[in-house]
Amino acid sequence: MAPSSALQQVLLSPAELSYLHTSLASTPPIRPDGRTSRQFRPLIAESNILPGTNGSARICFDDGTEAIVGAKAEVEKSRPVFAAREEEGEGEEMAEGQGEGGERGRNEWVDISVEIPGMRDDDSMPVFLSALLSEALLADGGFTRKLWINRRFHWKLYIDILLLSQPLSYPLPLLSLTTHLALLATRLPRLKSEKDEDPMFDDDWEASVFLFPQSQTAKPPATLLVMAVSSNIIFDPSKEELAVAEVVLAVSISSSPSSFTPESEMDVGERKGGSLKLLAVRTIDPPSRLTHPGVPNVVNTATGGTATDNMEMAMAREEGVWKSPRGGAKRKLIAEMIRKVLEKGGVGEEVLDGLEAVGLE
Amino acid sequence: MTDRRRINGPSGGTSAPIFSKYLAKTPNELLERPTRSRPNNALRKMFLKTGVTPSASGSAYLELEASKNPKSTAPGLSSPSTSGLKLTCTVHGPRPLPKSAPFSPHIILTTHVKYAPFATRKRRGYLRDSSERDLGVHLETALRGVIIGDRWPKSGVEIIITILEGEEDQWWGDGIGHGNTAAAEWGMMSVLSGCITVASAAIADAGIDCVDVVAGGVAAVVKGSAKGPSPNLVLDPVPSEHKEIIAACIVGYLPSRDEITDLWVKGDIGHGNQNEDTAQSASYEELADSAVQAALGSHRVLIAALKETADVKIGRS
Repeated sequence: MAPSSALQQVLLSPAELSYLHTSLASTPPIRPDGRTSRQFRPLIAESNILPGTNGSARICFDDGTEAIVGAKAEVEKSRPVFAAREEEGEGEEMAEGQGEGGERGRNEWVDISVEIPGMRDDDSMPVFLSALLSEALLADGGFTRKLWINRRFHWKLYIDILLLSQPLSYPLPLLSLTTHLALLATRLPRLKSEKDEDPMFDDDWEASVFLFPQSQTAKPPATLLVMAVSSNIIFDPSKEELAVAEVVLAVSISSSPSSFTPESEMDVGERKGGSLKLLAVRTIDPPSRLTHPGVPNVVNTATGGTATDNMEMAMAREEGVWKSPRGGAKRKLIAEMIRKVLEKGGVGEEVLDGLEAVGLE
Repeated sequence: MTDRRRINGPSGGTSAPIFSKYLAKTPNELLERPTRSRPNNALRKMFLKTGVTPSASGSAYLELEASKNPKSTAPGLSSPSTSGLKLTCTVHGPRPLPKSAPFSPHIILTTHVKYAPFATRKRRGYLRDSSERDLGVHLETALRGVIIGDRWPKSGVEIIITILEGEEDQWWGDGIGHGNTAAAEWGMMSVLSGCITVASAAIADAGIDCVDVVAGGVAAVVKGSAKGPSPNLVLDPVPSEHKEIIAACIVGYLPSRDEITDLWVKGDIGHGNQNEDTAQSASYEELADSAVQAALGSHRVLIAALKETADVKIGRS
């Protein structure tokens, strides 16, 4: 019956929480590790580390958390589809759409599993994380289309995400960035057979093709963790910062293929990935709601105050006394957080570009 | 984790053979996809009643009108394309935690969302699968911000929702035809919105202090019909009525504070930095604002249902 986010519980006293909250709420926010509000923790990243997989990656944050992701692909027979029906009036549209529509993927072709030490695989945290990561991957249907081989066969992609260390901080950004990197490095054998033949592959690994070719703008998604304290928006929060957060959002983005408007042609020079696209947003229950509240001196019998049965008095917020946040987040604030992730030259672009540089090495 | 205590049917289900002579050859023999007869900004009719389970400290039942096929003459109930939503919620507690539990300064909230085995076209097992757990986590996020937890230290409350009839993820006819099989779990969004509203009613019925009653609302961007090809923004979408849903958003909304406790958006959402592309698909903000409008609609029903219960209670005593 322990609370689901018991893992996130930080052992900080109400006074410490209040101090942390005040410093994060000041302008500009003062973070305990001295970062600016949009700075990420330093990390070590490498890809293609597991020879037995189609693609793999490892990322290690400087607080000692480390994750490995391996992607393995198998050829699988597709379930038959009865394509005998064609709707009236849509006949032509269907016929020309067949080429592209036929290559529709199914969500069941991707299997994501998340393993976190010390947690059962049916605990809420791994379930939540794998749901979040897979919904980002499947959001626009473009990813499963890449797994299509022909009418009868497809690739089944297993993505196994392993957190190697204890979950010292909320593991979402780490796992998502590692998955992104592993998918960038994933290669599939080159197809030699044609059309609906039984698939035959080139057995030369050197000739294999990338799942996300570097020439194309489509990139795997990445999920970022954003939190807000009063009106300050802070990226990549650490565990202590999360303990005083008022809103926590997981925002999944990917770079969308650049549209051919004159405007986007202009900035091709600076960034070939095109603009960013929002794939999914989820609020995350901030662990701050489970923290112990402080007791102001006036109502604390231990410090000479008198206990009150006045509800107003008990509810009142006093400066310097920690009260866990209540209620939700303002609509404007959430929209602003999402805008900050997506804006040109913002954090989202920075992260995606940085990860791409790792893959190129 | 498999269910080993009961004799269960095959987990995946088998597909019955379809003989070619049964495949429709002429268009008018085709099964009719249900169509949305409401305007884009109208919600389905909602039935909400509290206090349906006497043994629980609070309970509520919610039902959304099933979409009817305009041409079907059958009285609707067991017609194959109806999909409504029926949820029942019970709240147990607040009650003291067991002696062995560690001290907690707040109420400990446990949410449990379960589909009944017969709730969907494909049978659900008795153990919760990952999507049900995911719904539970969302519901917990939506409710934790609302309940004033520090008034009940050292106690726990359990919120149990059984989905008697679930929303479908796509029209069932798509599954046997040329399927748009990439259908994401869009039905889950409407289910979650219903779960938030019904849980909120049950919590109020149990007399647990809240900052406001939270209401759920869904909005979606759907691909336009053949006539109007541009995507439409609809409130309270029924997945089986639309050929393709592009993006959907669900919010748990507190009207009196204008705050959102739970937000879940997914799909292909328009570019965040506004350029000419906005015509192509709605931006996040439009989507979220429509979801809030939907939530305001269900909030009105919620308040009316609570008032009704209060009147009955006062009238009796």
